[in-house]
Amino acid sequence: MQYTLLITGSPYQSKACHTALRFIRAALNKYPDSIKGVFFYEDAVLIGNQTAQPPRDEINLTKAWQEIAEQHKVPLYLCIAAAVRRGIINESESRRYELEQHTLAEHFQLEGLGTLVDLMNTTNKIIQFR
Amino acid sequence: MKHTLIHLNSSPYSSLACKEGLDLALVLATFEQPVDLCLSGAALAILTDNQDPTAEQGKNLHKLLAGLEFYDIENIYVEKANTWIEDNPTWQGVHSLDGAEWQTLFSQYQQVFRF
Repeated sequence: MQYTLLITGSPYQSKACHTALRFIRAALNKYPDSIKGVFFYEDAVLIGNQTAQPPRDEINLTKAWQEIAEQHKVPLYLCIAAAVRRGIINESESRRYELEQHTLAEHFQLEGLGTLVDLMNTTNKIIQFR
Repeated sequence: MKHTLIHLNSSPYSSLACKEGLDLALVLATFEQPVDLCLSGAALAILTDNQDPTAEQGKNLHKLLAGLEFYDIENIYVEKANTWIEDNPTWQGVHSLDGAEWQTLFSQYQQVFRF
C-alpha cells in the first residue's frame, strides 16, 4: 500500500509538519516504498523556505524533511500558488517575477495542484496533517 | 476515480484556508474528479448575501459560489441545525442535511480534506 501525505498546517502555528515527519519516518522504516510523495499546501509550504534560521536548540524542520528526501528519494512538493504568494520562490519563478533572489530550499519542488490530483489517483490513501 | 469531499470549517476572512480549500475543489473539478463541498462553523459566513469586503478584509469568496455549477460542483452541504441560515439572506444553492445525514456524509467519500 502506498500513501501520499498532504500537509496543510503551518510549521510555526501547528504541529502538522512535526507529526507528519514522525509518521513518515515510521512508515519508511517499516515499509521503505510506502510513501509516494509529500504535498505541502496552505501555510505548510513555509517548510520550503531556505532562508529560515531556527534557533540552534530547536529542531530544524526544513533540514529534517530534506534528509527524508535525500535518504529515501521521496519527492517533496510545494503547491506553487501557495508558495509563491508566501515568498517561497525557485529560480524560474524568480526570473518570471524579475526578482534578484530565490528562496526555495534544496529537495523541495514547486508543483501545481494537478500534481496532488495525480498523487490522489495513483496512491491508495492520502493522509492530511493540519 | 476517487470521490472527494472538501470540508470548509474556517472563516473566509480570518485566513486563506477557505480560499485554498475552494481552489483545491476547483482544480479537482477541472481534472474531472468528482468533488462535493460541505460547510460548517465559521465557513458558513461565506454563504451570506451582499458581502462587500475591502482588499484588507480579503477576497469576496461568496462570488465564487454561483460559478461552482460550471465546474460540475453541484453538491454543497450544510447541517440543518444552523438555523441562522434560514433567518438571514444567504446563497440558496446548498443542500441542508439533518444531524444523522450530516454524520454519515463523511463516510460516503474515499477522501475528505478539511480547510
